Amino acid sequence: MNNEIPVQALGGQGEVMAHAVDACVHCGFCLPACPTYALLGDEMDSPRGRIVLMKEVLEGGLPLADAAPHLDRCLGCQACVTACPSGVPYGELITAFRGWSEPQRQRSALDRSKRWAILKALPAPRLFSVAARVGQFAKPLAPVLPAALRGPLDLLPETVPAMQPSPKVTPARGVQRGRVAFLVGCAQQALAPNFNAATLRVLARNGIEVVIPDGQGCCGAAALHTGARDEALKLVRANLDAFHPDDFDAILSNAAGCGAGLKEYPMVLHGEPDEARAKAFAAKVMDISEYLNTLLQNGELEPPVPASRPLTVAYHDACHLAHAQGVRAAPRALLRAIPGVRVLEVPEGDLCCGSAGTYNLEQPALAGQLGERKAKNILSTTPDLIASGNIGCHTQIQSHVRRQGSPTLVLHTIEILDRAYRGEL
Amino acid sequence: MNTEKLALTTNSSARKPASAGGASNALAADLTRALGPRKVLSNLSERLNYRYDAIQFGATPLAVVLPESTEDVVAAVRAARAAGVPIVGRGAASGLSGGAAPLEPGLVISFTRMTRLTIHQGRREATAQAGVVTLAVTEAARPHGLIYPPDPASFRTSTIGGNLAENAGGPMCFKYGVSGDYVRALEFVDEAGEVHRLTRDVFDLAGLLIGSEGTLGLITEATLRLIPPPRFTRTLMAHFPEVGACAEAVSRAIAAGAVPSKLEFMDRACTNAVEDYLHLGLPRDAEAVLLVDTDGEDLETVQDELRLVEDACVASGGTVRRAATEDEGAQLWRARRSVSPALGRIRPQRMNEDIVVPRSALPDVVREIRALGDASPFPVVQFGHIGDGNLHPNILFDPRREDAHAVHDLAHRIALVAIRHGGVLSGEHGIGSMKRDFMRDAVDPETLAALRGVKRALDPHGALNPGKILPAEEVMVDG
Repeated sequence: MNNEIPVQALGGQGEVMAHAVDACVHCGFCLPACPTYALLGDEMDSPRGRIVLMKEVLEGGLPLADAAPHLDRCLGCQACVTACPSGVPYGELITAFRGWSEPQRQRSALDRSKRWAILKALPAPRLFSVAARVGQFAKPLAPVLPAALRGPLDLLPETVPAMQPSPKVTPARGVQRGRVAFLVGCAQQALAPNFNAATLRVLARNGIEVVIPDGQGCCGAAALHTGARDEALKLVRANLDAFHPDDFDAILSNAAGCGAGLKEYPMVLHGEPDEARAKAFAAKVMDISEYLNTLLQNGELEPPVPASRPLTVAYHDACHLAHAQGVRAAPRALLRAIPGVRVLEVPEGDLCCGSAGTYNLEQPALAGQLGERKAKNILSTTPDLIASGNIGCHTQIQSHVRRQGSPTLVLHTIEILDRAYRGEL
Repeated sequence: MNTEKLALTTNSSARKPASAGGASNALAADLTRALGPRKVLSNLSERLNYRYDAIQFGATPLAVVLPESTEDVVAAVRAARAAGVPIVGRGAASGLSGGAAPLEPGLVISFTRMTRLTIHQGRREATAQAGVVTLAVTEAARPHGLIYPPDPASFRTSTIGGNLAENAGGPMCFKYGVSGDYVRALEFVDEAGEVHRLTRDVFDLAGLLIGSEGTLGLITEATLRLIPPPRFTRTLMAHFPEVGACAEAVSRAIAAGAVPSKLEFMDRACTNAVEDYLHLGLPRDAEAVLLVDTDGEDLETVQDELRLVEDACVASGGTVRRAATEDEGAQLWRARRSVSPALGRIRPQRMNEDIVVPRSALPDVVREIRALGDASPFPVVQFGHIGDGNLHPNILFDPRREDAHAVHDLAHRIALVAIRHGGVLSGEHGIGSMKRDFMRDAVDPETLAALRGVKRALDPHGALNPGKILPAEEVMVDG
């Protein structure tokens, strides 16, 4: 798309944005992939429309306040990136745009404090855990609370499990085959500590030593995708200091959102002195399923114990795995590697579940519609279990599956593998 | 710079309206009173997004209506008429000739919320409102043992209304025909806001509306013919060291009696652009790739027919690979469907042709276009429904660095190649504003006068999609 974005004045992030706008040929192939277009049916709430809006704002032809409601409704799911034949890096555009525009936004005091609370609590597992416990007590009040507060409460699980600190080094069992660094993640430590415990057990069982480097923190994705760029940069730089890519075969994440965030570091630091470090770092980042799948493909994966009975697993593609990282085959291959497990494909599988980072807190109505649609689609396959590779999807889907009256469990792909190894499947 | 030249760039001087935001004009206020705020878009941020199709940017509309029923369309047309502003109909705006891009400020009616669809199994028909997505018709029909064959590359996005306005085709058109061939009846709203329901008997007025690009009326609903899907389909891919050889293979196969369901080609630049997107292992070095489906009720006949094509390809110097599985075949077709937008990877902008030439002239035509491209400073790529002689030469360019006038001149010379060989300007994308200038070369003055007469009869005030199809000065006289 031809444009007059003042790249010189905008610097590295301006180059990122102008490149994406240049690449769009406004063909409309992205429209059917976009969840908000599917719900709202108008051009402004489609990727193509949002690219035009961002271009106009950057060129100075449209006030930011006019474009903002439509840009805020974007989930950042990047389904449009998968659908785009022209190769438009839409994810980079919206992320860079949010970083550029947030300081210019005028938000209400309530809005500001909500965002502040989310961005403070998410990267601090202990704080998040305390907040979640407080939230649990407030849950019975949910029906009388305003929607802005009801959304987060609805998403809280019945019980908030106790925190399980992870050991700094988990030795390999048997012959050591590899050595990886692991990002422990934030919210999931509080909401689903077993994700990490299962990950460490599965890696150790496969002869992989796992190191959890000191000084690591939040990946920064939540801050970055909500436009808190300065906050995000602090987190990004802290992780670049904490992880030394040369020391490890890979840097692993078991949360799709975090993994995608880590892989974005070179884009975040485009045109800045740390760009080279970010590239070296990102080149080592892998999702846990990608890493284990390389073992599987090399015939090195410890064979899982067969399931005690034939089991169907509906696999949910987390957007940040499937669209942002292009990881689709690996988790399915791992599940299929368990004898007795059959993997089911979900109708409208490419449509976001509505969780999308902080989206279900900021846009509860749309998130709720998407969550309901996702749960119905998944349950239409009548699975024994549901698998996903992202804490956000996990929470959203489990909550909506319950609301549909189904007792079906949602587990992390690695939890299922872990259960198989332990003979509990 | 005249409007045709401006049409080649996404940034025209008409791009930004003088006033920003709000229901600042009487039209938007009238529409909101008649239809309620949910169906009317009047903010600048909303209107800006209804000024383009997949090729061109036009003027920002004064207001946009998202109708949910034919009555809404009637109300919108009447309001626009009272305000004396032009009306442009719009589906998913995936069109490739500027058809849905308004050339002057007015009312855009976007049909994306008119999505009612009913399948009548016994009559083998579908009744679809204008905004029904093309693929949705086949998806709804399939459980009834039926399909809707027209399959433009944009079928996941494009709407039935838009398909009919452009008389869109697709790979299946060689054997099964184009959108217009499946229409049994149409409902449309005329420029005065009257509703009409047409069948194909008496005067084939429905036929006149089909392919008229929204210049004669606004199609609101269609009754479409459905067919049972063929039981067997087989796919092959052939590649050639030279583009003309590919065209020769096609002529040879058809002369030998093959009636494949799809016969598509793409040249080297297309193959490489798609390969960059899908990584399918397409032959990057081949100058031309041919994709062929044969289908039918009887597997032996289907395979015999595929063999005829295979022999013709080999005889013309091609290398043939049969798709081993259905999945492999589906991937190859996905490759073909992605060609057009994937060209954005080469240059940000393109001038898109849609010529049709007699099949016997194909080898000469593709070679002549290739030579024109090689002699120009622009990448010129070719692909298309070669079985029908429908070619899509595309001139790729960067409007920031390259001269739009030179692009236009080259496009004109390519159009003249088609006309010299007895061809026409449009197979399926329409004339729009992109090829309006070339109409004088393709259509004699008497026929142009007849077309103007038809336009005047159905749209006396020149309110419907002005500036499209008919050459500029005629339109200026009219409106």
